[in-house]
Amino acid sequence: MARTALRAVLLVAAAVAPLVLPTFLLTALTEMVILGLFAMSLDLLVGYTGLDSFGHAAVYGFGAYSAALLLLHTGVSLPVAILGGAVFTAAIAVPMAWLCTRATGVAFAMLTLAFAQLLYAVAYKWQSVTGGSDGLAGVPRTAGPLGMSWFTSKIGYYYLAAGCLIAAYLFCRAFVASAVGTTLLAIRDNERKAQALGYNPRAYKILVFVLSAFLGGLAGALYAPFAGFASPDLFFWVLSGQVLIMVVVGGAGTLSGPILGAAFFLALEHYLSVFTDSWALVLGLVFIAVVLFAPQGLWGMVRGRAVP
Amino acid sequence: MQGLNAVALAALLFLISIGLTLIFGIMRIVNFAHGALYMLGAYAGFTIAAWTGSYGLALALAPLAVAAIGIVLEAVVLRPLYRREHGAFLLVTFGLALVIGEAIRLGWGPDPRRLPIPPALAGSVTILGAPFPTYRLFLAVTGAVVAVALWQFLARTRLGLLIRATSQNAEMVHALGVDVQVVRAGVFGLGCGLAALGGVMATPLVSAHLGMGVNVVVDAFVIVIIGGMGSFGGSIVGSLLVGLVQTFGNFYLPDLALAAIYLTMIAVLVLRPRGLFGHEE
Repeated sequence: MARTALRAVLLVAAAVAPLVLPTFLLTALTEMVILGLFAMSLDLLVGYTGLDSFGHAAVYGFGAYSAALLLLHTGVSLPVAILGGAVFTAAIAVPMAWLCTRATGVAFAMLTLAFAQLLYAVAYKWQSVTGGSDGLAGVPRTAGPLGMSWFTSKIGYYYLAAGCLIAAYLFCRAFVASAVGTTLLAIRDNERKAQALGYNPRAYKILVFVLSAFLGGLAGALYAPFAGFASPDLFFWVLSGQVLIMVVVGGAGTLSGPILGAAFFLALEHYLSVFTDSWALVLGLVFIAVVLFAPQGLWGMVRGRAVP
Repeated sequence: MQGLNAVALAALLFLISIGLTLIFGIMRIVNFAHGALYMLGAYAGFTIAAWTGSYGLALALAPLAVAAIGIVLEAVVLRPLYRREHGAFLLVTFGLALVIGEAIRLGWGPDPRRLPIPPALAGSVTILGAPFPTYRLFLAVTGAVVAVALWQFLARTRLGLLIRATSQNAEMVHALGVDVQVVRAGVFGLGCGLAALGGVMATPLVSAHLGMGVNVVVDAFVIVIIGGMGSFGGSIVGSLLVGLVQTFGNFYLPDLALAAIYLTMIAVLVLRPRGLFGHEE
């Protein structure tokens, strides 16, 4: 009951926030929503399947570049470009998933990292398409027909992003509770046993990898028109590490945790950067402390029990 | 000519990746902070050389200092995690990489630090009728010496035997009355010291700068994965392969060079998911 009430309060707060917040806070909030979606998508791999991806920036960057290119060159409307970015990312993720899931454990982590770095290198070098080190600037928020111009305002864009996050959250909640979701947990806990029971772990891993890429790509596709640009940094391993921090600090193996982690991460970054240049130092120390002393993350602490 | 340059680069990469390999092979830890410790070695080497005016001292002292730091880090941050799953090490060492990188930025500032090639190693020597930079020859020789020394140490000495035994069965070694904790701390320190040695040796070529750790840690991981996690010989072969691909890539296909080593890694893993010399875990 308390949970339902809390959810209702959060939903109302999220709905009302853009109407009362000053612009810079609205911008920060939109960023939290986008990165929250990104972190949640990674947790499908890390928390629910036990696949430590170190290259999740690959899908974020790919989604961002896809959406940016669609908006710059085709004149499709904003929602189409964003959805298109997510779909393209899921498509590129199929061969990636096929290759990465050949390896397990650390090798899997490093393969995902290699793919992200490979895309980074391509974005950096393929100047005619990607703009090289400058990236793609001036990504427009092209309005479509049917009054979609409303989404192009700052407030409208926030609602668009928040709508995506809520839809993704509801979808993921149903997904992890489904038979497929529980099989993923079984694979996480004991892959050999799952295999002995007649499941094909690799097929499930590929499925969740592609789904995670779709949602991560969606986050990236939301980011490009939000920021107005896409740069090679979106593929860089530092971003992959940061989103992993969000997941772990928030609480791996939960859906709300990573969203909370993303909000915490950005809040800390904005807050600390006012006081000190070296906010990353504090962030790193906080992160180490969480791994050492609160492995279930902030959300796990709030709920008062370990991750299932 | 390009072949010798590739060997020099391979030697440098080997120094860095062998530390990772040792730490993984013996402790089962993926040390993401390895690049940051390499960077720390480079900056420490620069400072020692600037104070004493001696590159030789920098080469000797900076790795020792970083090894000492590594031993402290092992005790404070890694030791509480041995009972947890492997992912925790990946995460905590990533945090360490962030912290060390920032600490370096605070301590030395954002500007790159250039260390000149020591006069004794400047100039070039003639090999097979072609001039070859002495410093690169020095890199190649040092890499080879370290490889042979480490191999002999692990294969022939009692301590080496102990270390290998610890990697196989820590509990048994402990039961035989050996302090496994000391062995682990020592191995981690040794790995960090090797990374720092690589850092000091790289500084005259690339200058100590804030991005160097990031670039190198990814290269080193590529090598360790190509060679097979924890394999000594794999580290050598992987270093040579990456050194060749990078050197010739830069020479013939500069646009593709950046991507070439990742493509190499992906190709190797498609053929052999465990790496060239990897064993089944």
